[in-house]
Amino acid sequence: MASLVARTARGLLRRAVPRCLDPAIVSRRQLYSADWDLCSSYLVSDRPHVRFVTPYHFVRSYCASERGESNPQSSSPGLHEENAESNSNSKKKTEDEREAPDEQRQVLEAALLHVPKLGWSEAALAAGAKDVGLSPAIMGAFPRKEAALVEFFMDDSLQTLIDYAESHEQELSQMLLQERLTKLIECRLQMQAPVISRWAQALSIQANPANLPTSFKQRAVLMDEIWHVAGDHSSDIDWYAKRGILAAVYAATELYMLTDHSPGFRDTWSFLQRRVKDALDCGKTAREASQLAQTIGAGLGHSLQGLFRR
Amino acid sequence: MQHLDVAGGTGDVAFRVLDVLNKSEQIGIFRSLDLEANDDTRIHICDINPSMLSVGKRRAEEKGLGKAKSLVWVEGDAESLSFQNDSFDGYTIAFGIRNVTHIDRVLKEAHRVLKRGGRFLCLELSHVENLMFKQLYDFYSFSIIPRVGEVVANDKDSYQYLVESIRRFPKQEDFAQMIQQAGFQKVEYENLVGGVVAIHSGFKL
Repeated sequence: MASLVARTARGLLRRAVPRCLDPAIVSRRQLYSADWDLCSSYLVSDRPHVRFVTPYHFVRSYCASERGESNPQSSSPGLHEENAESNSNSKKKTEDEREAPDEQRQVLEAALLHVPKLGWSEAALAAGAKDVGLSPAIMGAFPRKEAALVEFFMDDSLQTLIDYAESHEQELSQMLLQERLTKLIECRLQMQAPVISRWAQALSIQANPANLPTSFKQRAVLMDEIWHVAGDHSSDIDWYAKRGILAAVYAATELYMLTDHSPGFRDTWSFLQRRVKDALDCGKTAREASQLAQTIGAGLGHSLQGLFRR
Repeated sequence: MQHLDVAGGTGDVAFRVLDVLNKSEQIGIFRSLDLEANDDTRIHICDINPSMLSVGKRRAEEKGLGKAKSLVWVEGDAESLSFQNDSFDGYTIAFGIRNVTHIDRVLKEAHRVLKRGGRFLCLELSHVENLMFKQLYDFYSFSIIPRVGEVVANDKDSYQYLVESIRRFPKQEDFAQMIQQAGFQKVEYENLVGGVVAIHSGFKL
């Protein structure tokens, strides 16, 4: 009986939840991984044409330097050469990309630097445009001005997180699931630290009905990515439950962080640890409950059968 | 902010641009750019016809903008502007480009005087796409407008020219192509009243 309920629920959910959340995306992700590789090399490699060090560049270069430290120890000289070769390859690719730099992206990158002072606003975009030597009139190219800035930040942070996960694959694989989830959420929220004074404004922009579809999708993809990196490849009813629970944990921690004034957001990270632990315990409890329900159902069925036989 | 309004002798567009710029300065969008930004804003109004410019100047005085530093009235040809390269943030031309001899030269000039990131905006009477509405519009244009012109302004030929020049002007897509050929990027257009009027936009990057 329980399995019947589960099956119907799954069917209903499949129909109700948009395609972007479909489990199939997990397998499709493998196809994208080549693109991600390219992106990450583009993002991590030192880019002389970028004249500004933004907070997330900092995080990214931090990831890159850690990778650099661990590489010579772990890899043999031969492997190292291979790495160098692939690096030069990716550099060639980035040079190709550099030929057609996307001005809008440059403006957004530069504008993020001004966010702590000017907020997620047209003023920040104007200042960013000025920094890259463009007229502020370029703002007209962003249909939803502030939202474009917030969405760019979300996308960019996601890519940084993917880079981080790739460069720390070994380290992450040695952790427990709980630690892995905590670590990944912490890494992602850390990227928000430089703009934390303005993050409440960003949340309000994301919650604007006009921006809601994009911000919802971005969050869904983020949750998907975290679970994917954490090593979850399930494709049953759990898939939705897991992402839902993680989204709740993430949102709670995000809100906690807004009013956390402890040094280095210490309180936030301990809060996060407790929430992740609770969530996993909750999953265990749910499983136990369903087993109990099955057992009771079976027991009841037997006694009913017995009743009819009599 | 430096703005150039071409074929805008009567100042209609310029006054509105000034309003918008003043408002954005009040809410502090350009606060971070320059402290002198407020004094720096100039709207150049360029027209080939001096009597149009004098109409605009008179209207500016009526609006209390007679002595405003930010409005600069210039007599000039849109096909060969007297301004330096890369000197404007915005370029507008409203109901003007239809009447020039070489549209491509005007677009080239617009591209020349704009800064990188500057925006080109063109408001122009264009082509109606809806068939039903097109018939009605054609009837109105060819049968009513010239007659009204004849009765009211005693000048049938000018109004005949008006409707014919609208029909001769390139269609929205073709004009967008021309703007792209002049070097603009992110070119797009928006139809108003089903295409009676269209706004074309492009960025110099």
